[in-house]
Amino acid sequence: MYCKKVFLFASAISLFFISCSNDDSSTTEAPIGAYENGVLILNQGNFGTDNSSVSFLSNNFSVFENNSFGIVNPTEVLGDTGQDIGFYNDLAFIVLNNSQKIEVVNRKTLAHVTSIETGLSNPRYIAFSQGKGYITNWGDGGNPNDDYVAVINLQNYTVLRTIPVNEGPERIIVNNNKLYVAHQGGYNFGNTVTVIDANSNTVSESINVGDVPNSLKIQNDILYVLCGGKPSWSGTETAGILVKHDLTSNTSTSLDFATSSHPSNLYLSEGMVYYTDNSDVYSMSATAAALPSTPLFSTFDQGVYGVYSFAVENGRIFVGDAVDYSSNGKVYIYSTNGILEYEFTVGVIPAGFYFN
Amino acid sequence: MFRNISVLIAFFICSISLGQNDSLIKLKQITVTDSQLKNFSIAQSTIVLSDSVLTKNQTSLTDLLRYNSPIYFKENGKGMVSSPSFRGTTAQQTAVIWNGININSQLNGQTDFNTIDTRNFGSISVRSGGGSVIYGSGAIGGTVHLQNEMRFTDLFSNKISVDYGSFSTLGINYNIIASNDNVIAQANVSHITSENDYEYIGYNKKNSNGEYKNTSFSTQFGYKVSNTTFLKFYSFVFDGDRHFSGTIASPSKSKYLNLDTRNLVEVINYSGRFTSKVKLALLNEEYKYFENKESDNYSFGKSKSLIAKYDLFYSISSKLKLNSIVDFSRNSGFGSSIDKNRREISSFTLLLKQQVYSNLQYEIGLRKELTTNYESPFLYSFGSLFSPFKWYDLKFSASKNFRVPTFNDLYWQGSGNLDLRPEHSLQGEFGQVFRYANIELTTTIYFSKIKDMLRWVPNSSGVWQPINTDKVEIYGVETLLNWKKKIRKSEINAATTYAYTVSENELTQKQLIYVPYHKFTGSLAYGYKNISANFQTMFNGQVFTSSDNVNSLKEYMVSNIGIAYHFIKTNTSLGFQALNIENKPYQNVASRPMPGRSFKINLTFNF
Repeated sequence: MYCKKVFLFASAISLFFISCSNDDSSTTEAPIGAYENGVLILNQGNFGTDNSSVSFLSNNFSVFENNSFGIVNPTEVLGDTGQDIGFYNDLAFIVLNNSQKIEVVNRKTLAHVTSIETGLSNPRYIAFSQGKGYITNWGDGGNPNDDYVAVINLQNYTVLRTIPVNEGPERIIVNNNKLYVAHQGGYNFGNTVTVIDANSNTVSESINVGDVPNSLKIQNDILYVLCGGKPSWSGTETAGILVKHDLTSNTSTSLDFATSSHPSNLYLSEGMVYYTDNSDVYSMSATAAALPSTPLFSTFDQGVYGVYSFAVENGRIFVGDAVDYSSNGKVYIYSTNGILEYEFTVGVIPAGFYFN
Repeated sequence: MFRNISVLIAFFICSISLGQNDSLIKLKQITVTDSQLKNFSIAQSTIVLSDSVLTKNQTSLTDLLRYNSPIYFKENGKGMVSSPSFRGTTAQQTAVIWNGININSQLNGQTDFNTIDTRNFGSISVRSGGGSVIYGSGAIGGTVHLQNEMRFTDLFSNKISVDYGSFSTLGINYNIIASNDNVIAQANVSHITSENDYEYIGYNKKNSNGEYKNTSFSTQFGYKVSNTTFLKFYSFVFDGDRHFSGTIASPSKSKYLNLDTRNLVEVINYSGRFTSKVKLALLNEEYKYFENKESDNYSFGKSKSLIAKYDLFYSISSKLKLNSIVDFSRNSGFGSSIDKNRREISSFTLLLKQQVYSNLQYEIGLRKELTTNYESPFLYSFGSLFSPFKWYDLKFSASKNFRVPTFNDLYWQGSGNLDLRPEHSLQGEFGQVFRYANIELTTTIYFSKIKDMLRWVPNSSGVWQPINTDKVEIYGVETLLNWKKKIRKSEINAATTYAYTVSENELTQKQLIYVPYHKFTGSLAYGYKNISANFQTMFNGQVFTSSDNVNSLKEYMVSNIGIAYHFIKTNTSLGFQALNIENKPYQNVASRPMPGRSFKINLTFNF
């Protein structure tokens, strides 16, 4: 229901209230050429408007560019509601939710290769296994029974087959030829992780987790699933929960949050678990038996009202701030001690960091 | 509250019975129900678009006003959802008034200007500036008045009009009027259907899911019960079926159905110096939104409003007029994301107009609403008109206006906020009218401060909620220039509007999104014997599309031409229109291109 409200409202906004746009296509800038050794920042843009964009920041923070896709491909429109980027060999796959497509580009140059425009219905996230792409799809948001994972042939960029799954498949990750799909729930609240066998392309297992699993990672054969819990307005508020599922013994342990706490943005880095709750960033050892009681630091001083996107990579913490969801967004980069080191103005609603 | 109403009603009933002893006044042959637009609008500029202007324009209210008023429209592609920005305000801050009744949606607070077919109305007026004292919620930037006049004369006329044009657009209209001195019956049916598959110029793409059709139906019935008492009935139904266009890079498969019905019964009694009107209106709105037009799944919203009004006009003397209005309305709303809720609002309005000298008059208005839903501010207005010379008028007005929270704002599941206050604005304006020969020039400067603006923002747990947050400061200039000339058998009409608008968020000092600094419209109509030709053009300045004023849409200028020939023998007209003659690409909402050049032919039979 959580996402249902957000999306119904987002569509209401796009229909009746006016959101915003990016009309920069007319400015001609030279592309910086090499987009490796850095991070691609996907800016979601506004639902109902073709203002998704990609920003690039080099690993040494010396090179930064906005609208990189548009600059490299001036005749292409990236699209509406950029959701995820996945890398496979020399390619980057940019999933555009409301444009119902995937833009395939060269990951080093961002030059457009092709567009996958058929067989997708509200595509969300992408992963790769056994030479194929796997994309979670909501189908029609209002229909709980048409959700699926699309399997893509990476030679001819067509949808090979679809694997029906429960409502609201969201983030998808791969481990040992198996795909793990978190059912955040779409317009409702999910509480499972579906396991798909990439050899047979069938659902092999469903793992029960907490309510609203919003992020998941695997390390040392442990599946970490961070569940936000149901929000208070749902009428049946539930607490967030961090589930650790041992993939070899197939057993779970969990750490419970306080009822009013709804964490998100799980990230693993160098033996540590990171996550966020409202404006606060938390960290703990991956093997810790209890949740930390105090945050590592708060982004509140930067005016971040709720961390929109998050990553921990190369010893630094990346925070994306959607500001007022109309203006260009901000990216703040902190040391792992929480000291602010860099800040950049990116496109509208920075939604994810993809290290290239 | 109810006791107060009954006391007031009792007071008014006494007034009527006292007044009835007075001698009868001469009754006008032509009557309109929204008498305040005429009687209590001396200090504000009003553009009246008569029947002859309406027939020269396209039939959607959006297109009519885009080319003939200073209002900016945000249209999600041709024929799609369209909302106004009037004097730098938001879509909910322009009230649409149908025969004196505010018909803005109870659900989202605004009117979709593409759900009004102008052929249903005798005239359409645009009144700039605040009008909440008379017209209630949403009359902040200005008001748009849809009027049906009734003429008690011997007449029987039929008109059928058919037009066909680009993108398989077919329009049919039938209008019948039958009247004599005692009865008038008038009906109008309009139907329009369009594939609307225009090209997105420069993108090698078409508007793939933009087809629409709609039928609208209006009737008016008037009966002269006696020389002093009239019974009137008005209705207006709009039944729309639209597929919603996608954006340049995003296909859409959605569909939107809406059915709006409005009915109004009015009893007017003229007795001596009193004119009393009892009005009862019933408004229904309903929409269904299909994310996938092939699927049975949809979301919906409905609302019903019952409005009862008692309007008493008292002409104390030829120089002093008093008008009181008691209004009771009950609104209920319900939808897939709104629990069933109801609200009741009573309001009391007092208007006074005095002619101090032959060249100086002023008016004062006061209004207070009572409701349990929110704290409603006391509203007031003052206006004065000074005409020192025949060729010169000086106008001044100031008012406090408001916009109440909508059902979506209050009751949206998981997001609605019951602690909202109405938005309110304080505004002042100063206008001058110059007349020379057949030229009339009106310039108005205005200033307005809006507080407690409602905006949906994510709260700390990421849920979008409406809050009273922004303060906006608006100032600007509006200029209207009209010229009429008759030389023997030819007639020329020229009209232009220009608006300069600064509308800034007080905190950030940034211009609000989708408010152009400059907008200009011009039209020129020429008639010679049986031939008429017209040209219209519109310049729309750059608008920002993000609140940091970084992203924007480019300015554009679009022009249309039309020519018509009237065959006297058969009382038939044949017309031809070319729209966007220069085939210019433009967008008034980001990512949603508007059509390039298109054509239309029209055939009208009168019998």
